[in-house]
Amino acid sequence: MERVHSVPQETYTAFSNSIHSKVLEKNIPIDGTIELTQRCNLKCVQCYCCHDPSKRELSYDEICRILDEIAEAGCLWLLITGGEPLLRPDFLDIYMYAKKKGFLITLFTNATLVTPEILDHLSKYPPFSIEVSVYGATKEIYEKITGVTGSFESCMAGIKLILDRKLPLKLKTMAMALNHHEVSQMKEWSEGMGIEFRFDAMLHPKLTGLKDPWDVRLSPEDAVALDGSDQKKLDAWREVCKHPWEPSQNGRLFTCGAGKNSFHIDPYGYLRPCDMMRTFSYDLRKHSFREAWVEMCSAVSVEKAPGDYKCRGCKMTFICNQCPGWGFLENGDIYSISENMCDVAQLRARKFGAGSGNTKGGMSNEEEILSKAQR
Amino acid sequence: MTKVYSKSPDVVFRKIADEFVLVPIRKNAADLESIYALNEVGGRIWELIDGHRTTVEIHKTIADEFDVTPDEAEEDLQNFVKSLAETGSIKES
Repeated sequence: MERVHSVPQETYTAFSNSIHSKVLEKNIPIDGTIELTQRCNLKCVQCYCCHDPSKRELSYDEICRILDEIAEAGCLWLLITGGEPLLRPDFLDIYMYAKKKGFLITLFTNATLVTPEILDHLSKYPPFSIEVSVYGATKEIYEKITGVTGSFESCMAGIKLILDRKLPLKLKTMAMALNHHEVSQMKEWSEGMGIEFRFDAMLHPKLTGLKDPWDVRLSPEDAVALDGSDQKKLDAWREVCKHPWEPSQNGRLFTCGAGKNSFHIDPYGYLRPCDMMRTFSYDLRKHSFREAWVEMCSAVSVEKAPGDYKCRGCKMTFICNQCPGWGFLENGDIYSISENMCDVAQLRARKFGAGSGNTKGGMSNEEEILSKAQR
Repeated sequence: MTKVYSKSPDVVFRKIADEFVLVPIRKNAADLESIYALNEVGGRIWELIDGHRTTVEIHKTIADEFDVTPDEAEEDLQNFVKSLAETGSIKES
């Protein structure tokens, strides 16, 4: 037998890697996301959420039943997000119910609605992590993006309240045409307070397919240049480029954990493989999570990349975030690709040291990208 | 070895893919920065601690169910219970 150790306290990374490797082939839904609402008090220009007032959000009781079922199925990491989840008057009740189920909870919020009362409660029952999106280092840029006067001050006050209580906070931003010149300033400010900061420039269309967020999307050149201007990202990409891996030969369309070990539940009770994928939809008001999960895993696992799938055999896979979700949101077709993502991967490869991006996978070469940019 | 222990309501036990995990949920319960991973025997001991069974009874069950000598089982049990008590995961009834 294995000897009993005095409650071994594993480092988080080792623990996470260990348990993820054990659930990998067992279709255990260890990573889950629940969107409590798609409503938001901000009106960010790049946001993909689309609140539909004609749809009925899950009730507290329905959410509790779902939380019971996903805990039973093996979910450990749970992301609570929105919209803005704090807009729900029963947010604390839902949070506490989830907390008592033993999930490791990450909370996404814009911090503008946090109150001392909410945070006092979270201090007693801390989340695993709170992640706040900040959209600019200055009021002018922040509010140009959020479209709400006074939201910058509310966000800053919220962040201060969270910090005062020493809750586990991370900051992040979506880098876009309106704020990319302030990203380094946001990072400096955040890291100066000892808070981890990250940014991402890959904007996708709204969940309805509307491409409004692209009005403020960075070009592939600017997105890659921004990564290159950040030492941490630069080092990370260079490291990735030192160890390229070959594309999978199993022909599966889904190469991530979506519908295998991870899932997404929208505010109306629909289970899906991820937040971007609005096909493969299962109504949890009509089915138990377990029934829906088994059916979804089965449907996702048999999806094969078609013969003409542009990513098939592409040697840039290791540096690209292409997936059926991106194809679906950009083109309404899970078998299509995001051309923008493809261009970014190609440029990343060239800039960060993975050599020529000319590959079998139908990716455009640098000349084509530059030509597109000039058009 | 005749003590009886109860579990703290502020620690949640999860069994996922044959992994046993203790998740403290309240700030003053144990070390909130930690997640505790237990091995199979630890998981079984946790299941057996119920506020009624004595450590003698738990010891007997462990010695019966696992391939271990009574001395090893006793040492393991004592160490494990001590650690759980130190982290606030259990308390003597």
